[in-house]
Amino acid sequence: MFARVASVVALIAVLGARSLIADTPRSPRNANYTITARLDHATRTIHGDERISWRNVSAHAATSLQFHLYYNAWRDERSTWMRERALAGVKDARRRDPSDWASIVVDKVEMVPSSGGAAVDVTAQLRFIAPDDDNTDDRTVAELPLSRAVAPGDTIDLRLQWTSRVPRTFARTGAIADYYFIAQWFPKLGVLEDAGWNCHQFHSTTEFFSDFGVYDVRLTVPRNWIVGATGIEQDAADEPDGSRTHHFYQEDVHDFVWTTSPHYLERHERFEHPSLPPVDMRLLLQPEHEGQAARHFAATRAALKYYGEWYGPYPYGHITVIDPAWQSGADGMEYPTLFTAGTEWIAPRGATDPEDVTVHEAGHQFWYGIVATNEFEHAWMDEGLNTFSTARAIEAASFQNFYSQRYFGGFIPWTFMDLPLSREVNGDRMAGYRKWARQDVQATPSFRYWPGTAGAITYDKTALWLHTLERHLGWPVLQRVMSTYFQRYAFKHPTPADFFAVTNEASGQNLAWYFDQVYRGSQTFDYGVDAFRSVAERLGSNRTVVVARRYGDGIFPVTVRVTFEDGQHVEWPWDGRDRWKLFEVTRASRARTAEVDPGHVLLLDVDRTNNSASLRPQADVAARKWSLAWLVWLQDQLLTYGFFV
Amino acid sequence: MGPLSALGDGLSRAARAPAVLAGTFALTLLVAVPLSLALRGMLIAHLGPSLAADAAARSVDFDWWQEFSAQATGLGMTFVPSIIGFGAVLQNISNLADNVPLATTIAGVIAAWLVLWSFLSGGILDRFARNRATRGRGFFGASGAHFPALIRLGLISLLVYWIAFRWIHPWLFDSVFTRATRNMTVERDAFLVRLLFYSLFASILILVNVIFDYSRIRIVLEDRRSSLGALIAGARFVGRHTGGVAALYLLNTVLFLLLIAAYAIVTLAVSPAARMPWLALLAGEVYILARHYLKLTFYASETAMFQARLAHADYAAAPPVVWPESPLAESIANAPPVGPC
Repeated sequence: MFARVASVVALIAVLGARSLIADTPRSPRNANYTITARLDHATRTIHGDERISWRNVSAHAATSLQFHLYYNAWRDERSTWMRERALAGVKDARRRDPSDWASIVVDKVEMVPSSGGAAVDVTAQLRFIAPDDDNTDDRTVAELPLSRAVAPGDTIDLRLQWTSRVPRTFARTGAIADYYFIAQWFPKLGVLEDAGWNCHQFHSTTEFFSDFGVYDVRLTVPRNWIVGATGIEQDAADEPDGSRTHHFYQEDVHDFVWTTSPHYLERHERFEHPSLPPVDMRLLLQPEHEGQAARHFAATRAALKYYGEWYGPYPYGHITVIDPAWQSGADGMEYPTLFTAGTEWIAPRGATDPEDVTVHEAGHQFWYGIVATNEFEHAWMDEGLNTFSTARAIEAASFQNFYSQRYFGGFIPWTFMDLPLSREVNGDRMAGYRKWARQDVQATPSFRYWPGTAGAITYDKTALWLHTLERHLGWPVLQRVMSTYFQRYAFKHPTPADFFAVTNEASGQNLAWYFDQVYRGSQTFDYGVDAFRSVAERLGSNRTVVVARRYGDGIFPVTVRVTFEDGQHVEWPWDGRDRWKLFEVTRASRARTAEVDPGHVLLLDVDRTNNSASLRPQADVAARKWSLAWLVWLQDQLLTYGFFV
Repeated sequence: MGPLSALGDGLSRAARAPAVLAGTFALTLLVAVPLSLALRGMLIAHLGPSLAADAAARSVDFDWWQEFSAQATGLGMTFVPSIIGFGAVLQNISNLADNVPLATTIAGVIAAWLVLWSFLSGGILDRFARNRATRGRGFFGASGAHFPALIRLGLISLLVYWIAFRWIHPWLFDSVFTRATRNMTVERDAFLVRLLFYSLFASILILVNVIFDYSRIRIVLEDRRSSLGALIAGARFVGRHTGGVAALYLLNTVLFLLLIAAYAIVTLAVSPAARMPWLALLAGEVYILARHYLKLTFYASETAMFQARLAHADYAAAPPVVWPESPLAESIANAPPVGPC
């Protein structure tokens, strides 16, 4: 059976590979950018010139264009991004020098007639709008009214010149010393949908959304500085002023980022797989992490392998892995064909650092890069699916994963080799979900989540409900769901409804009851054993009674199991709807344990401890063992403070 | 007497006072056990009849641990995975070095332990200075007699350490360190800077610590009543014997580092997480006992150095004068006869 499933999976992967690596455009390519940009290191400024060719792929005529100007989120403390950040309790502004702030100023906008006539300067018509919160101090979205509407299927060309002041890193973009990681750095069009422009202001807890296109970018930086960017470097040429221009090109992506520094070490390896297309891996590494190159490649390889086998192939043929500089704040972020990992100077084996972040960000090439969901509104669709997949890939790749802590200002790690972390309790991030489970309904647009707890709903909850679904449906079914979804929506912008429809279709079940709770609700799940006894009734017979209870408001079918002294057990299915249910059995053997959901299918259960009961409880033994371990800690604490006497 | 001899003498004096070692160990244990029992009660209450207890008894049930932490309050919040094995040592030293606030309950227990230790330190120093058994009456008599002065000295030291941790530490690590490393992009370099700052802060603490150590010694050995006078005298002694005092401190610190390194190695093999909780407890208690021994050695070696380097260096403490005579009086009484001038 397993072999049959595996062959089907391999066949799907191969067929998928063919469709995804075809020569024809993979995506609509309706937002194409030709950019030339020059970095002035002395003033930390970028002067840019871009030409945009945009095609209206919506069903309605466009009467305006809307642009993201992300760098203005860090123009001052009054932007929506900064206000939301303050709401979450993060006080960025207090630690900032005046030179740390950023801005992007559009110096000139010209409409370029397709007929080839003279360009028309429309700079004066550009105005800032705040579609999400009417914050008039927010300048992260600009609108350009069009004198002539762009009909569906028509194309418009325009040219923008702009100047960006590069911040000291905010939200993983910026500079520190001579290290630059430049993302969200150019005026970028929003997405025109049938309902109108989807061009949100920059919010502190959400990321990005844009259309696919072709990026042809020339970057001029100081000579001898290494450059990494989206796409492949086509050529490079020295400039008379001592700088060097690097030319990058990439088709079918929806963003473009770059990084430069004189200190990067460059390493190359190649990913090869019997049924997946090869991928050239380029690693730009910090010199102090030179010894960790192999770990970065291994983790990237694991993501390409497992995501490729499970969902579909990575189609671009190349990937750039960036190991960002310490304190650059650029670590752990995904961009098309390039991502930032993140590690420490001392990174002992045993802890998944840098493996975890590398697999996760490489995995975003699939959930974000290829299946390009709206991260402003449905962040869970990329972050949640990817957190689930990361945990699965880390487990499949057998990366050693032990509990680890860092001491002395975070510089010195210690790995607890006797405390292995499993996918269930660590990878799916139960602790974060348990704390904030009721904070928001997942269906709320992500940018409207409470800023301090958005991560728990976006990442943790989704990973847990997907993992629960995996255990409920079985991995072959969920794998079919996710690969179908991936294949169908590669290079598109699917919505939650699309995902749920594919889930129902590919699983052959209507799972609305489940999504109503985990997506459209904020219910928490908690089943437990309320009462358990097993008493001798007459000679050779014991009557066992279990009362299973639903403590939470979420409903999920569970199994109730009683195990007897003779090692045998009985199981009852329970639809989990009533608040409690009594189960009774009379057997020769006395019962030993009772469990609700013994297979731990319902990973969303916020209190697993109450799921079982034993007639020979071991709490005393466990408590003695751990309170004595704690005793040694306390004695050591006393002696440590004994320094003062 | 050189620092090495003082250390050797200290090791020997501490070793010859097993009752003091046992007593101080018992004190620490007695202070810690009630809290351990309270935690045990919390764990039992949370585990109840659950099968999670079986898993927690067998090894580490991280799932349950997270659930416990999620609902824990007060003392329970200190029950974190970092308490396992050598992690406990690292966490405690690191938290002190990084000025991490203590949980209120733990702070209260530490305060109580410090007061009790201050009480006993009079008897401990008296015992080491006389370098002979002082028996319970002598030991506790000395403890009681010197306690008022020692506690006053303790309050002065509390003020000085409070200033160090309330003002100097944040200034060094939050302000100066942050500024010094603001544009650093190499973590290793930043760590070296932090190491430098740790050394700087540690130097301040050690200077204060050593002055208060010798002040304590002067209170007990010279039967001083004035804490301020003892503090000045202690500082004067440190000032006049800086090299020796510093070297002895360093030697004691090296012994401490060797001990924690040995414990680190032992905990790799013996873990409470595995099926050997009693072995892990034994290893932990042996380590705690050894730390007590080293702390007493610290006291004893400093006492030995003080006695050896004081102007009246011949006052080597020895029987038979009995308490309540001061150790110096005893030394004088036991001094060899002085020949005709």
